[in-house]
Amino acid sequence: MTAAVEISDVTKRFGDVVAVDNIDLTIADGEFFAMLGPSGCGKTTTLRMIAGLDFPTEGSLKIFGDEVGTLPPNKRPVNTVFQNYALFPHMSVLDNVSFGLRMQKVDKATAAARAKESIELVQLGGYEKRRPNQLSGGQQQRVALARALVNEPKVLLLDEPLGALDLKLRQEMQGELKSLQRDLGVSFVFVTHDQEEALTMSDRIAVMNEGKLLQVGSPEEIYERPANRFVADFIGQTNLIEGTVADETTIVLTNGARVAAPSDHAAGTAVALSLRPERATLTPAGAVEAADGRTSVDGVIAGVTYLGNALVYDVALDWMTIEVREENRPAGDRPSPGDRVAVSWTTSDASVVV
Amino acid sequence: MMPKRKSRVGKGPGITTYVLLLLVAVLSFFPYYWMFVVASNDTSVINEVPPRLVPGDRFMENVRTVFNNVPFGRALLNSAIVASLAALAQTFFSALAGYAFSKIQFKGRNVLFVIIIATMMVPLQLGVVPQFLLISRLGWVNDLRALIVPGTVSAFGVFWMRQAIDAAVPDELIQAARVDGAGTFRTFRSIVVPSIRPQASVLALFAFMFMWNDFFWPLIVLNKQDAFTVQVALRQVQEQAYVTDYAIQMAGTIVGTVPLFIVFLIFGKQIVGGIMEGALKG
Ligand SMILES: Nc1ncnc2c1ncn2[C@@H]1O[C@H](COP(=O)(O)OP(=O)(O)OP(=O)(O)O)[C@@H](O)[C@H]1O
Ligand SMILES: [Mg+2]
Repeated sequence: MTAAVEISDVTKRFGDVVAVDNIDLTIADGEFFAMLGPSGCGKTTTLRMIAGLDFPTEGSLKIFGDEVGTLPPNKRPVNTVFQNYALFPHMSVLDNVSFGLRMQKVDKATAAARAKESIELVQLGGYEKRRPNQLSGGQQQRVALARALVNEPKVLLLDEPLGALDLKLRQEMQGELKSLQRDLGVSFVFVTHDQEEALTMSDRIAVMNEGKLLQVGSPEEIYERPANRFVADFIGQTNLIEGTVADETTIVLTNGARVAAPSDHAAGTAVALSLRPERATLTPAGAVEAADGRTSVDGVIAGVTYLGNALVYDVALDWMTIEVREENRPAGDRPSPGDRVAVSWTTSDASVVV
Repeated sequence: MMPKRKSRVGKGPGITTYVLLLLVAVLSFFPYYWMFVVASNDTSVINEVPPRLVPGDRFMENVRTVFNNVPFGRALLNSAIVASLAALAQTFFSALAGYAFSKIQFKGRNVLFVIIIATMMVPLQLGVVPQFLLISRLGWVNDLRALIVPGTVSAFGVFWMRQAIDAAVPDELIQAARVDGAGTFRTFRSIVVPSIRPQASVLALFAFMFMWNDFFWPLIVLNKQDAFTVQVALRQVQEQAYVTDYAIQMAGTIVGTVPLFIVFLIFGKQIVGGIMEGALKG
């Protein structure tokens, strides 16, 4: 099967600024693909190159096997939902949605009928005559979606489509977008800088930073096996415990303590152990048995944060403080500040990153 | 603190504000009123002390004299043709150029724009001689084209429309149109123009007023009565009357100003409407 989008060695420069730095990326047909990264990392630029609104300085970009080169946006089987919706303010919802069809010289009646279908699809039936300024943010978002979908793109590009919505509406739209994508079976390429959104919605995620592609993988791979320190830290909460590789199964932490951590880095490499707060367990000091595949460090409880369903402990090691998250338990049964504890975890639950 | 502030807003402007506004309104309206007083009397009222404040009954007679002394109907028509064609063309071409300067990337864009702005600083008088030579080469002396063609675009118009498009049309809107397959001109027509209607109306109005009131350039290129515009014709009224007849002069001025008022009423409404719409949207 040919990939929907195939980006090879693509670099984009604006003068001296390298917005996108030599990335390789393949997006499958029918995939919900998220691009995640901090502000300015090149997400929008990558999306715009797929859209045909910008062209790569170097490299090749194929859509369904065809090199697109400098093909204009409307000649690609792609459409875009812009971050601020970019609805035409002086046109009705219907005119906004049918604009693309009218540009393709589709006759007025057919264009209107297809636009109506598309408007129904995003559940805005009855709003055809309204102007964008007579709609709520969520409704405008739907119009933008309908306007893109009416052109029947095989790849839909969405640049932070939910960025301007409040949390509740955002979660609602996340679900709808996801089911819409499943029903239509087209690829969605979704830009966001909200890692939770990326994790919940996507089949695969690409994490970018400073124009570079750091890791591509399923949400689980990205979360469980971060490729490096940046990804580990950017996706979810984590403790980065500094150390040095001793051999293929052990690393030595800053204070000299040894923990089991399999890695294929050469001995002597400075690394960090990424340990998710919810993967660590607290036991009274000395009570931990050297069970198979588990390892631990000693520390002192420095503080407890009550989250209702969970408790987050700050555990002071000799040289740093880490977080441990556990299910809530009755007040008498909790470790309290000052208690000496062992923090233990299954070795395969932590990742060694550089 | 809060309630006090609220009550102040609720009360609205005080009596002093109204009195001041009324005073300003009367002061600005008075010259026009007195113009009518003179125009409806004998020219001698201009010298009366204290000045006469009631209109007379000679207005129509004075107007008739104007039309008898010069082909004033023709002049009104000429002015209307020149001012409306130039205003339309100027608005259209300025908007087109403004669109290019605002939304299209091309080499030398900024340099070109600075050059256009710089031409606004060249005094009109400097350009008159070469422009006259050009017009006479083209054989357009005593031809309305001599007024219309130089009025089809203006540096100020280009600047004004570029600012308007910068402010009213986000880049994403242009890109959304492109994604939907609209070409450069189609985008201009369907997306840009509807978004800048109020600002375009203002420019059209300014251009119309400027062309209607222009005196210096028409005086240079027009010397046959049939080609006269209103402002040039009004000067002729005066010269033929031997001693300046202010009553006739004022009567002509009033007739020559009425079309301007009408245009202002039509466009003024659109402009205010546009501004209101923008305010509601924002
Ligand atoms: N037209 C341009 N001219 C010059 N530099 C640009 C241009 N567009 C983007 N850049 C630069 O390229 C880099 C990447 O920008 P991009 O818009 O792709 O970031 P992003 O990941 O979408 O960020 P955000 O999350 O803030 O939208 C930034 O440093 C930006 O300043
Ligand atoms: Mg962006």
